[in-house]
Amino acid sequence: MANLLWLQGGACSGNTMSFLNAEEPTVVELVTDFGVNILWHPSIGLEIGDQVSDLMESIKKGETELDILVYEGSIIQGPNGTGGMNFFAERPMMDWIKELSEVAGFVVAIGDCATWGGIPAVPPNPTESTGMQFLKKDKGGFLGKDYVSKGGLPVINIPGCPAHPDWVTQILVAISTGRIGDVLLDEYHRPKTFFTDFVQTGCPNAVSFAQKVDGHFGKRGGCLFYEVGCRGPMTRASCNRILWNRQSSKTRANHPCLGCTEPGFPHNDLVKGSVFKTMKYLGFLPKDVPSGHSKVGYYARAGFEKVMGTAEELVSGKRPQFESSK
Amino acid sequence: MSQYKELNISPVGRVEGDLDVKVYMEDGRVTRAHTQASMFRGFEEIMVGKDPQSGLIVTPRICGICGGSHLYCASSALDTAWKTTLTPNALLLRAIGQATETLQSIPRWFYAIFATDMANKKFANKPLYEEVTKRFSAYVGTSFQSGLTASALPVEIYAIFGGQWPHSSYMVPGGVMCAPTLKDVTRAHGILNHFRNRWLEPKLLGCSIERYMEIQSWDDLMEWVEENESQRNSDLGLFIRAGMEFGLDKFGEGVGKFLAYGTYLHKDKYNTPTIEARNNAVISPSGFFDGNNFHNFNHMDIEEHVDHAWYENVKPAHPWDQPIPTPVESKNLEDTDFSGKYSWSKAPRYDGYAAETGPLARVIMSGNPNNLDHQFKDPLFLDIINQKGPSVFTRVLGRLHEAPRIYTQINKWLGQIDLDQEFYIKPEERDGRGFGATEAARGALAHWIDIEDGVIKNYQVMAPTTWNIGPNDSKGNPGPIESALEGTEIEDPHDPVEVGMVARSFDSCMVCTVHAHDGKSGEELSRFKL
Repeated sequence: MANLLWLQGGACSGNTMSFLNAEEPTVVELVTDFGVNILWHPSIGLEIGDQVSDLMESIKKGETELDILVYEGSIIQGPNGTGGMNFFAERPMMDWIKELSEVAGFVVAIGDCATWGGIPAVPPNPTESTGMQFLKKDKGGFLGKDYVSKGGLPVINIPGCPAHPDWVTQILVAISTGRIGDVLLDEYHRPKTFFTDFVQTGCPNAVSFAQKVDGHFGKRGGCLFYEVGCRGPMTRASCNRILWNRQSSKTRANHPCLGCTEPGFPHNDLVKGSVFKTMKYLGFLPKDVPSGHSKVGYYARAGFEKVMGTAEELVSGKRPQFESSK
Repeated sequence: MSQYKELNISPVGRVEGDLDVKVYMEDGRVTRAHTQASMFRGFEEIMVGKDPQSGLIVTPRICGICGGSHLYCASSALDTAWKTTLTPNALLLRAIGQATETLQSIPRWFYAIFATDMANKKFANKPLYEEVTKRFSAYVGTSFQSGLTASALPVEIYAIFGGQWPHSSYMVPGGVMCAPTLKDVTRAHGILNHFRNRWLEPKLLGCSIERYMEIQSWDDLMEWVEENESQRNSDLGLFIRAGMEFGLDKFGEGVGKFLAYGTYLHKDKYNTPTIEARNNAVISPSGFFDGNNFHNFNHMDIEEHVDHAWYENVKPAHPWDQPIPTPVESKNLEDTDFSGKYSWSKAPRYDGYAAETGPLARVIMSGNPNNLDHQFKDPLFLDIINQKGPSVFTRVLGRLHEAPRIYTQINKWLGQIDLDQEFYIKPEERDGRGFGATEAARGALAHWIDIEDGVIKNYQVMAPTTWNIGPNDSKGNPGPIESALEGTEIEDPHDPVEVGMVARSFDSCMVCTVHAHDGKSGEELSRFKL
């Protein structure tokens, strides 16, 4: 049994919408069968009886136990550090979060805005947004780099824009059933169970990646890394192992991975030429290379394979084809 | 001493922040109402100077409920600016994305957000209350769970073509990213079929879609309700009977003017996208209905006012002519002076008028006798507006009425995808202005873009919620929700559930807190979250 309070700051509610699509378990089952007691949630909170600020006061005083504080959205500190751009229950939301995080058993940041600032924190960051314990790759964020909750963990980051519903429900179940000890966190405080493998693991175009066969919009087959900016090879997430909406994933639908589970999304801060285009070095080499490779090593191997592909074409008169059928 | 209590009526989907509504009551009636949006994120400012395609990534993330609708607008705005060519497949797959998102929202909104209100104790003395409570109570209601579960099905189709819902960017200038196969199309048909067999026919309608769509008038609808037990006891049948028994048709009228941008660009009528060709290319028709007459929609007739919004004052202007707004100091509700600036929302006006947008506006436009052959033609809601007028009841009815039609359209569009033809034609990037619009589930949504030197110079987003929850304009005229609240009779001033139902019938995508005050003394009577 765990009491949960879910709050939203600089948010679009996308993580909540994603959460409502959960199936194993569903949100209703989370409450009825898995012991998660939702004290309040902006979209689905029920039966709280008192006004939200009373509830929050009662938590602060320790009259109501808060086992899990879930936060969605950026921490809005503007203007000038006052938080006045995001009032909640008559006060800046950031003031509530500061106080509640001091008494919460565990703090779970859901989505890129809450984990590392997300889109609101893109320069010029008009709302002075930051994440709970990171701002992009820099540890610190709103609560500071030394923050640990009463349960002994730093902020548990479940990134993604949005986070996959199963990532959320499974971590909540782990806390409510006393198995949080089995959840290991990586350097960005992400649960390793979801964020160790790359998005490329399970991508149907992985063979095209290896063979350097380009994919494009509106085409079947080919790898989206080379021309349209896919970040699947350098993004840790289980999107191609735990599918979205039980059906698909971005790369399965020929949509380049945007790298939204890595700090810094949207990458390159949306500068000209960075959206759905692979940014190039010397005009033809990908600026960002797959994780685990040095740039020099990657360019040497990729160049060799590209040359070999061309040589193969010259000899056999055929280029490897990976277009799949309708 | 002020009497003060909060009623937790039920939660609402919240997206862009918090909405506070302050109402003043006298002699059992609301005399004045103000809406306050209390969060600012500055998404338009973030896009200035960035890659022209930034809107494809940024704008769906303005709203997790309407992300597909934002994407529809963002890609369309670039299509008109870059003068792209769109294939029939591209237009079909975009329409399918828009329609599945809207179809998802109908049960999710009705059960999770609206209908739980009908189980409020205010209605406990009504004969149908027991049945309503059994069915619509949050979590435990017999229809609540099945409706919520069914709502996840349409967006599975969105995921097949877009990779995931919410927050895909699969619609791009020049078409769509995907190139589906027969397997994808067949699976989508299958999922849609589940939606019909599990919820749409057995739960919502209690009859076949075909039978329901024969209804042409208010009298037909009344006849349909009483035709048999199955229809009478369907969720729609129950809503109609209980809605009238509870008096939901007696309040929440609003400004009586309706605006729709229209959506679902026809596969063969928008292959060279231009702003001028848009009105005749949409399948769900656009228009402005002034209460008596229909007028053609022209986006140049839109202006936004900021006199009562927390931005530096500028003259009312069309979005292309507006600067990126500069925020000024905001206040919490208690310290707000409503004669000055009081909301993060601007006040949009069409031809100078506040206008209601949303499902009711759309179904009214479907009754325009001048609609073209490929456009929706459905006289029902024009008849209902003439006979009954706008109200909380008609607004909800309009929303539910869309489900069978959207279902039918998606099925048809899936069947029209030509697997041998193109899905995307790579466009040439260029500078210029663009306009993209659609109908999000909760109403008219549009983006305006201005590209200069290959980067975004100006980007303006106007959401349906901005239309509906916007504050007073520069002449002091109220926005649609502010107006709909005025005159509402409150049975119990300490439990003004009627106020909540009005605000909620518009489905503003924000958590809405209503603060009720005594009109004479100004003391706070009650406060509750929606």
